[in-house]
Amino acid sequence: MQKKETQKEKSAPLLVQMFIYAAILFVSQILSDLIPKSFPVPTPVIGLVLLYLLLTTHIVKVEWVDSFGSALISLIGFMFVPSGISLAANLKIMEQQGVQLIIVIIAATVILLVVTAYTTRFFSFLVNKIAKTQLHLNDHKKVGGAK
Amino acid sequence: MKYLANPLFGVFLSLAVFLFGQWLFKKSNGFFLFQPLFVSMVLGITILIVIAKFLNTTTAQIYTQVYKPGGDIIFWFITPATIAFAVPLYKRNDIVKKNWLVIILGLVFGTFISMVLITLVSKVVGLDNIGIKSMLSQSATTAVAMPLTASIGGNASVTAMACIINAVVIYALGKQLVDWFKLNSDPLGAGLGLGASGHTIGSAFALQLGSIQGAMAAVAVVATALVDNLLVPVFSHLIGL
Repeated sequence: MQKKETQKEKSAPLLVQMFIYAAILFVSQILSDLIPKSFPVPTPVIGLVLLYLLLTTHIVKVEWVDSFGSALISLIGFMFVPSGISLAANLKIMEQQGVQLIIVIIAATVILLVVTAYTTRFFSFLVNKIAKTQLHLNDHKKVGGAK
Repeated sequence: MKYLANPLFGVFLSLAVFLFGQWLFKKSNGFFLFQPLFVSMVLGITILIVIAKFLNTTTAQIYTQVYKPGGDIIFWFITPATIAFAVPLYKRNDIVKKNWLVIILGLVFGTFISMVLITLVSKVVGLDNIGIKSMLSQSATTAVAMPLTASIGGNASVTAMACIINAVVIYALGKQLVDWFKLNSDPLGAGLGLGASGHTIGSAFALQLGSIQGAMAAVAVVATALVDNLLVPVFSHLIGL
């Protein structure tokens, strides 16, 4: 109970949190405009990296951005409703190639999820194995040296 | 029309259909086809089609004039919400520092293999070249994927549609897919996969699975933006489209 209260005290006021997000948004927008059009990096991606860097360098404290950020993340399903409904503007493409496109897109979603997951698992295994054999070799050298 | 062309209509409609979707999802005990986002998308588009029929115009016109002003207000919040993923990422900084090599290799090769498979599926289904080009960059977020598609000669609005449907599929089927392919036994891979396939929605879902998954998905959203920028033009050149 008491712990909860101290946590609440630590968290920065809502307007301060909003200010930090607004400031990061503003700077990332400018940076995004400065990056050449042939290599597009969108504002949200720059913002994510920027906030991450500010957090790792301890310029911004987690308590200053945590609760407002969690609130935003919890609403993400709803925020995508307009994107979903925006397909209403593309109904013509759907009439022409809709079925094929939908099949490919659903397949692509599953492919991206599963292939990325398993490729990562493979490299995880590989890197661990290499690290282990190196450790093993080092041990051998040490034993050899002792002789 | 005059009364409908007010941003409040779009905001109201979005809230109404999403709340209905949530209610339906609860009532049906979580039937996967009744995921709130999917329900609200289908219902919202249906309502716009009905309004268009009623007013004798095209659905696209009703969308831009009646729904979009309000929809854009809600849409805008995706940007700060994406930035907010830096927080769960920072909280698991230990995992990032320990596994950076695996993360990079997994994403670069994962994206490349996925592109090959997506091209194969597209050919099998009989998509034309423009269609295939529009499918390649969908592992990146919409804002990266659209200009990329345009630069290799695809249809950017098809890519935007793909990115949206990616998110809807992950939102609706994420739980089943993770179970079927037993992805959760490796939190690193599960997180990266969800970020690459479902973008921001995938990251929100990954965060529900665990803090490592959430952090990895956030990494994937950032890194695929860069990886796709480099890989997609090369790949489309390689397959000679």
